[in-house]
Amino acid sequence: MKLVNRITYRLSAALLILFAVWGALFYFIMIEEINDEADDTLEDYSEVIISRKRRGIDMPGYGNGTNNQHYIMEVSEKYAEKYKKDRFSDEMVYIKEKEETEPARVLKTIFEDEDGRFYELTVSIPTIEKDDLKATILSWMIILYGVLLAAIVIINAIVSHNSLKPLYKLLGWLDGYRLGKSGVPLDNETSVTEFRKLNEAVKRNTERNEKMYEQQKEFISNASHELQTPLAVCRNRLEMLAEDNRLTEEQLEELGKTMQSVDGMIKLNKTLLLLTKIENGQFPEISEISVNRLAEKTVEDYSEIFSYKNISFVLRETAEFTIEMNETLASVMISNLIKNAFLHTADNGEIIIDISSDSFIISNTSHGTPLDREKIFKRFYKKAGNEKSTGLGLSLSASVCARYGLTLEYSFEKNMHIFKIISKK
Amino acid sequence: MKILLIEDEPSLREIIRRFLEKERYIVEEAAGYYEALLKTEDHGYDCILLDIMLPDGNGLKLLEHLKNEGRRENVIIISARDSLDDKLEGLGLGADDYLPKPFHLAELGARIKSVTRRNNNNGEMEIKAGNVTILPEKFEVRVNSENIELNRKEYDILAYFMGRINHIVDKESLAESVWGDNMDQADNFDFIYAQVKNLRKKLREAGASLEIKTIYGFGYKMTVEE
Repeated sequence: MKLVNRITYRLSAALLILFAVWGALFYFIMIEEINDEADDTLEDYSEVIISRKRRGIDMPGYGNGTNNQHYIMEVSEKYAEKYKKDRFSDEMVYIKEKEETEPARVLKTIFEDEDGRFYELTVSIPTIEKDDLKATILSWMIILYGVLLAAIVIINAIVSHNSLKPLYKLLGWLDGYRLGKSGVPLDNETSVTEFRKLNEAVKRNTERNEKMYEQQKEFISNASHELQTPLAVCRNRLEMLAEDNRLTEEQLEELGKTMQSVDGMIKLNKTLLLLTKIENGQFPEISEISVNRLAEKTVEDYSEIFSYKNISFVLRETAEFTIEMNETLASVMISNLIKNAFLHTADNGEIIIDISSDSFIISNTSHGTPLDREKIFKRFYKKAGNEKSTGLGLSLSASVCARYGLTLEYSFEKNMHIFKIISKK
Repeated sequence: MKILLIEDEPSLREIIRRFLEKERYIVEEAAGYYEALLKTEDHGYDCILLDIMLPDGNGLKLLEHLKNEGRRENVIIISARDSLDDKLEGLGLGADDYLPKPFHLAELGARIKSVTRRNNNNGEMEIKAGNVTILPEKFEVRVNSENIELNRKEYDILAYFMGRINHIVDKESLAESVWGDNMDQADNFDFIYAQVKNLRKKLREAGASLEIKTIYGFGYKMTVEE
């Protein structure tokens, strides 16, 4: 969720609660005020009537347009004692002049005349329709809420567009950033302290990562180079030893096995060096490579070597797939995938290569289970029990693909492992 | 034949010297740039094995110096750096071959033979062992001056063995040399057995005095019948 949207959602939720509370409060205060006014009027009115009654003057008549009403009822002393206080209430009152029932504010008060008799005076004045008031307040609240919400969205958009610019610029830069690839430096001047700190933190971190990455690369490169000589000595001494005629057949066999391990180490070391070189961009020469021809040639070699597996092979070419890249690396990329397919296809299995103008797809019969997509392109990932594998083949292919902006994907369909190289032309 | 071995790593120098002496070469050693410079100024050699990463100087400089002096020594660069640039630079400066470390001693032997032969025969190349002769330029194989027909792979295998007479050749190296790189993971060498079997048969039928022995656990060894 975008930050702007989140702020808008949060604000609108908070506003909704605020408006509900405020609307209710507003309503009650208003009613209170109205009642207060009505009660004052009722008190005045009742005083007038009571004084007129005491002095025996005519009561104010009806039909004077005020819709006010009153009537007097004689009550017992006991009743008067009990309801000594003035009582206000909201009631529905029938108004004779209008011949309908309307809400009214009613005052009931007890008074005593000169003769010592007690009367209860009931006066009423029509008041406002509370339901109407509620509805009006509610609808205006809703309108105000809507308008405010729209204002918030617009303001948010403008504010975030202006104030959050450095943040979005930083995010954009981070999206484009790749470790070990010198991209454009972060140029994000801002006067906002938080953003400046964020910029600095990002810069510091990327610099530290770059440094560590460089050190790691250098370490692998140095270690591999340093290993070359002792490995050479080791291999050559074993060779000399093997040519000693005094050795028995058993000793020679032992020696042969040791030699194979040393050869394995040498191969591993060479591959590591190759990986380092690819990542250091030490293969600058570029030519136009036909993947079709490269694949044809490689397959020819491997089918002889793996002929004992009795693999059926299909090459489907719908178009010529050419890539501008280094020849050595192209061969590394394609041959590792093809070798992999030959190596891991079950006996009597099938290998299919599809080449179109922008993709190279190689599928081979599996042993039934898909590979771990997350791990196969990682260095030194190999299945248990495969001594001969360095676990670097696919990693090499992936490295080369990454170098030339090609996509290398793995999928598993119909019991086939499928590797795809796709060019984003 | 006299060989100057320029290599700074003592252990490697010792083993190469022992190997070359077994091959009946006379070996002189130099551990660094200046020692090598002095030796080349005082003596002439048939072949110089040159490590280019020396503690006190770059081997390529020595090569440049030798060529500027108009020296005719064959130079084989042995380098821990398997880099195309070094190789191209070395060969461009007049080196005869480039062998990246780690290498097989038999391979080194074959390369030395190859460059010194190139020099001695002045073009017309011939590889001879027993009564078998290979003419690499014509891809011809003769047994007692009679041509025999070999397919491409059989020819490559024979040429590989004949450069390494009396040396054990492991099957991985043979596969890499004849079938190309990346044979590292082949877990079955039936394809070599088949070709070697055919080659043996053809040699025997032609009456060749060469024998390909199987060394169990290792590979093969070609010997000349007495």
